[in-house]
Amino acid sequence: MRVIRNEIRRLRFEHGEMTQQALAEKIGMTRQTINAIEQGKYSPSLEAAFKIASVFGQPLEAVFHYSAE
Amino acid sequence: MLLREMSFQEKRAWIAVASMGLIYGRYFWSLTMQGGRGPFGSLLATVIQLVIVQVVLTTIAAILNPRDAQAAEDERERMIALRATRVAYAGLSTAVVCACFFGALTPPIVFKTNSLLFVLVTAEMLRNICQIVQYRRGVCA
Repeated sequence: MRVIRNEIRRLRFEHGEMTQQALAEKIGMTRQTINAIEQGKYSPSLEAAFKIASVFGQPLEAVFHYSAE
Repeated sequence: MLLREMSFQEKRAWIAVASMGLIYGRYFWSLTMQGGRGPFGSLLATVIQLVIVQVVLTTIAAILNPRDAQAAEDERERMIALRATRVAYAGLSTAVVCACFFGALTPPIVFKTNSLLFVLVTAEMLRNICQIVQYRRGVCA
């Protein structure tokens, strides 16, 4: 099974405990979609993934990891 | 708690499924009891009831969480809606073929209208249920 994992929850915590709502507003998504991404229930588009990484000032691979289980 | 997890679009899907299930369910049940024929007035009353119930419930949902209600659809919501529409179209096509096969598209006109309405309601229910399933289970590209 192919899985895309992410570090968004940790990065939010490290960035002043940023809320899901705050992150969602920065990248033009809903809070529920950020929650779904964090829980692995939704894989964002490449554009959205880059936007998320940009908010945290990280390269894409530091935020998202791909693994084939 | 569960309501807080839901986006406004998911709430709308739940409202549509619940209201259509109850209101059209009651209408089609009474129609079945009447041998498949009913006055046009009851159909009109059913549609008006549905519109009122959906407007009221959607307005309440928007008032309870205006920020979610004002948010534009994002890519996940658009993908869910597109997938649900694809499934509903397949359901609609199948239902139309079945309706034709069983001869529902013959007069009298009231029966014809109700058969088409039933097909349409089934497709709309399918679309909303598909949305809810994707919101609950998650969606992958």
